[in-house]
Amino acid sequence: MDQRGTGFTRAILFCRQLDPNQDVNRRAIEREMGGSIRFFPLPCSGRVDPLYLMRALESGADKVYLITCPEGACRYREGNLRAKKRVAYTQGLIEEIGFARERLELIVPSAEKRVTIDELTRDILAREAAIGTSPVKGK
Amino acid sequence: MPPKYHIHTSRTANRFQLITKSGIIAWDEGCLKCVRCVKKDCVYKVYEKRGIDTRQMLESLDSVCMDCFRCVQGCPNKLIHKGLNPSYKELGDHYWTPEIISGLWYQAEAGRIPVSGGGYGGNFSGPGFDAMWTDMSEIVRPTRDGIHGREYISTTVDIGRKVMALEFDQTGALETTPPPVVEIPQPILFDLLPWSPPRKGINLAMLEGARSLGTFAVIRQSEFIPAMEEYLPNIVLYVDGSLSDIDPDILRRLRLIEIPYGKGVIASQKVLKERHPGLVTIIRMELNPYSSSNVLRLTAEGAEVIHLVADEYGLEKSGKPLFIKERVRKIHLHLVDKGVRDQITLIAGGGIAMAEHVAKLIICGADALSVDIPLLVAMECRVCRRCREGISCPVELETIDHVWGASRIRNLMAGWHNQLLEILGAMGIREVRRLRGEMGRAMFFENLEKEIFAALGKRG
Repeated sequence: MDQRGTGFTRAILFCRQLDPNQDVNRRAIEREMGGSIRFFPLPCSGRVDPLYLMRALESGADKVYLITCPEGACRYREGNLRAKKRVAYTQGLIEEIGFARERLELIVPSAEKRVTIDELTRDILAREAAIGTSPVKGK
Repeated sequence: MPPKYHIHTSRTANRFQLITKSGIIAWDEGCLKCVRCVKKDCVYKVYEKRGIDTRQMLESLDSVCMDCFRCVQGCPNKLIHKGLNPSYKELGDHYWTPEIISGLWYQAEAGRIPVSGGGYGGNFSGPGFDAMWTDMSEIVRPTRDGIHGREYISTTVDIGRKVMALEFDQTGALETTPPPVVEIPQPILFDLLPWSPPRKGINLAMLEGARSLGTFAVIRQSEFIPAMEEYLPNIVLYVDGSLSDIDPDILRRLRLIEIPYGKGVIASQKVLKERHPGLVTIIRMELNPYSSSNVLRLTAEGAEVIHLVADEYGLEKSGKPLFIKERVRKIHLHLVDKGVRDQITLIAGGGIAMAEHVAKLIICGADALSVDIPLLVAMECRVCRRCREGISCPVELETIDHVWGASRIRNLMAGWHNQLLEILGAMGIREVRRLRGEMGRAMFFENLEKEIFAALGKRG
């Protein structure tokens, strides 16, 4: 869905190993937030390509989050480490084209406490986005 | 001999990327930059055609990959992995399984019977329809003409009340007035959907599909819009309001109408018959433990067609619900026992998910079936039921083009029709009307279990 519209929009890409019951857990937030939040479960956060993140920004998301599984918990051993590198690389790319690097954020949950996708999302929503709407949307 | 009923299919592409059983995870870090990369050698050009769908953040890799594992095995640094796709496992639920949903998608796209190949490794029994096997003994005697060739197998059924005997006066003139009967070329009607996003386009797709197949779609009176008038000969109007609110002109052009079961249902049928004698009235009745006696009473009172509806899992409404096939069997056998089975048409629906369910429920005693969720799945529904919770549909079903939807439905029904022909051919039955109630040509797991093990526990 094209995210161009009114209001601040967030795209959340996340590793689904993080929360086995993610499909049910995110429904309450989806209902509350409607089109201003989009979830994209990934089989592994290491699958994310800089192109994914750029495309999410291009399609009108004001802020893109990538949530990996905790360090050391990747079922493909180092998928989340690779994701970290790719986010850093993409942040450099978007900065070059005049976007704030904060439009892209990596979230690595702690390995000590198991968290669900809705808890993580509510944490994100509770924080100030500290960034305006995306220049892609125009003025 | 009348021309064969044939459904014309055309490949109708998905709007969204399919959720496939497995996915590719290919990492670039650690790439040895081989002179000839295994990705370049992909015979299906999966990596060359690579694209990304931003609506779902899905790569085309997974849906194009044919699971040959050549790249996985060939990469010298083992950077390409293929794993089960967790999104696939999350499709549907315990009844509407990912295998059923992906099978329906395939048929809706291609209009062909899904062939898994490599034989069937089991399970050989399970709950619901899986606890029933049909007798395919005639499969060893394929005719030279073949069931899709010159051999004629009819899937036509009649919807309406039947007379048991014709009466003539002394001059030989017919005295009996036969009640109206509607003929449909395959024993499937499209039923009300248990849930869906706003369904204007969906309803139009079902109607267009029904018209092209020569069957009917049930449409709520409250959802009827002027754009549907051209489909009136293929509409079963479900009266969810008042009978007096139905426009006389619309009523005159209908062939089938459905009224909910309740007090005064036969009186309502009479009112409709007075207004339009050629109309066939269907009584929609929830399946429950009292259905057998209710159906018998309605048959005696002059009902023409009864539509028995189970929930989306095929269960009746009860504390200890029976599965649809068990309850329909009981109803059918009760009517046979009372000698009135042939007077009435029974349509059954709820939990019909695969082509084999059509044949199995007919064997259990239904004349025809009503189908609901598979029609949505044909239009790419993922059976996530988000729409029921007021969350937006992940495949934007509310925006479909009805011509595209109708084509997908037609393809699915063509697949089901061909499978029904296969089953009939393998059973040596040449028309679906003769399949009804043929329980002697099927085996039921619980009966076999009883036959084999019941005697073992007896003493003496």
